[in-house]
Amino acid sequence: MTYLSHLQCSDCGRHFNASEIQTYCPDCQAPLFACYDLDAARFKLDRDEFRRRLPGMWRWHEFLPVSNPENILTLGEGDAPLLRAPRLGAELNLPNLYVKDEGRNPTGSFKARGLSAAISKAKELGIEKVIIPTAGNAGGAMAAYAARGGLQAYIFMPNNTPNANVEESRIAGATVIQIDGLISEAAGMAGEKARAEGWFDVSTFKEPYRAEGKKIMGYELAEAFEWRLPDVIIYPTGGGTGLVGMWKAFDEMEKLGWLENKTRPRMVAVQAEGCAPVVKAFESGASFCDFWIGATTIASGLRVPKSFADQIILKYLHESQGTAVAVSDDLIIAAQHRLAALEGIFAAPEGAATLAGLEILVEQGWVKPEETIILFNTGTGLKYI
Amino acid sequence: MTRTILYIEDNADNSLLVRRALEARGYQFLWAENGLQGLEMIEQKQPDLLLLDINLPDIDGYEVARRLRSSGKGQLAYLPIIAITANALKGDAEKALNAGCDVYMAKPINIRELWARVEAFLPTTE
Repeated sequence: MTYLSHLQCSDCGRHFNASEIQTYCPDCQAPLFACYDLDAARFKLDRDEFRRRLPGMWRWHEFLPVSNPENILTLGEGDAPLLRAPRLGAELNLPNLYVKDEGRNPTGSFKARGLSAAISKAKELGIEKVIIPTAGNAGGAMAAYAARGGLQAYIFMPNNTPNANVEESRIAGATVIQIDGLISEAAGMAGEKARAEGWFDVSTFKEPYRAEGKKIMGYELAEAFEWRLPDVIIYPTGGGTGLVGMWKAFDEMEKLGWLENKTRPRMVAVQAEGCAPVVKAFESGASFCDFWIGATTIASGLRVPKSFADQIILKYLHESQGTAVAVSDDLIIAAQHRLAALEGIFAAPEGAATLAGLEILVEQGWVKPEETIILFNTGTGLKYI
Repeated sequence: MTRTILYIEDNADNSLLVRRALEARGYQFLWAENGLQGLEMIEQKQPDLLLLDINLPDIDGYEVARRLRSSGKGQLAYLPIIAITANALKGDAEKALNAGCDVYMAKPINIRELWARVEAFLPTTE
């Protein structure tokens, strides 16, 4: 049973009914967050009981938004392995270095988590047609979950999206529209189509539930470290759903009284030099990002000129005393080779970017040898061949 | 002194949202539904800032910006312009800046960001 109680605007705090279809706050034009009755959950739930359940994201169903279990659309997402990286750690003098390998999710990326949650909830709300703009992996994931739920999927993606994303979407029955532009332009077109046709727009943060699926990464990390959060989380940041979702998970677990340490991880947003709006805003102390002109990088998931949740991402980076780092495509490629050669992990370019970012932070002395550090590999490199 | 902002936008819902947001901050709000009407209002009302939608029913926002910047009328040539678009076409942001807009914002218009962008040109604490 879910403890979902309502939705709340991330800016003005206005409440919204979670039993009705919602998008974002109509007053502030800011994302909505799902809220749970954590006081009730605190008294009824035992944190250690969750590890005795069958593996997967939905073992945390109390903190996911679906009321009727029959509406849950799962392909086995979640509980992606947390791998120690001893050889890489030895090179960097970081003995407590880990990789959360999200490439092991269905459809080969962490997008499966968010889309499992969002499409399940869409089904529960009676939605029949869903539309998404995507840099690639979110489209493939949405197509898969929509197929499983019998929903019709429409996907807008840039025409330089990896072919695997196009093919996996089409074979799952989705209608794919490739456009001459970036994800921001795909988002504009998808939004217009959604308004014109009455389809539900599952764009990042323009509906409340993708972040809920992603937040479970935070629950899994806490559980894996015996409810003590790691020191540093390094996360490739395009739309930023995972970064925001995990911070939300830490908030929830704190309210549940589940955490053993009061110190939160320092969150690090890694972006590509060719598209680094968060880094630029963070470094200048701005509270929102400028739209990045001429975005270009091999990491298609990082070609996001401006996230709809930019203000929240920046807020959480500051709250966590974290930072933001830009890395070149050359460094991303080198890091991809090192991850594979030293640890056997064939990471997506976005995931490899986190290692490139870590190497910069090591040089700067921003991380310390005794710290527990998590790199997020958000997808498998196989999809980019 | 009350500052005046003109919004050229063919969508009444968007206009209403922005009107509420700006009036809440003490700005005077003017609305034009198309580019040519907007250019006329700029001449007549001399606003302090222009919010400019790109996809308009007559001349597009790029053309509005270009005409203003090349008008030879000093005041208009330096009128701050914030382009607001649904970025439905490739390179909208680049085109808007090249046409003479100062800032580019994508829809949906985040109101807190809008306030900050407007405030940067027209401080309310004067």
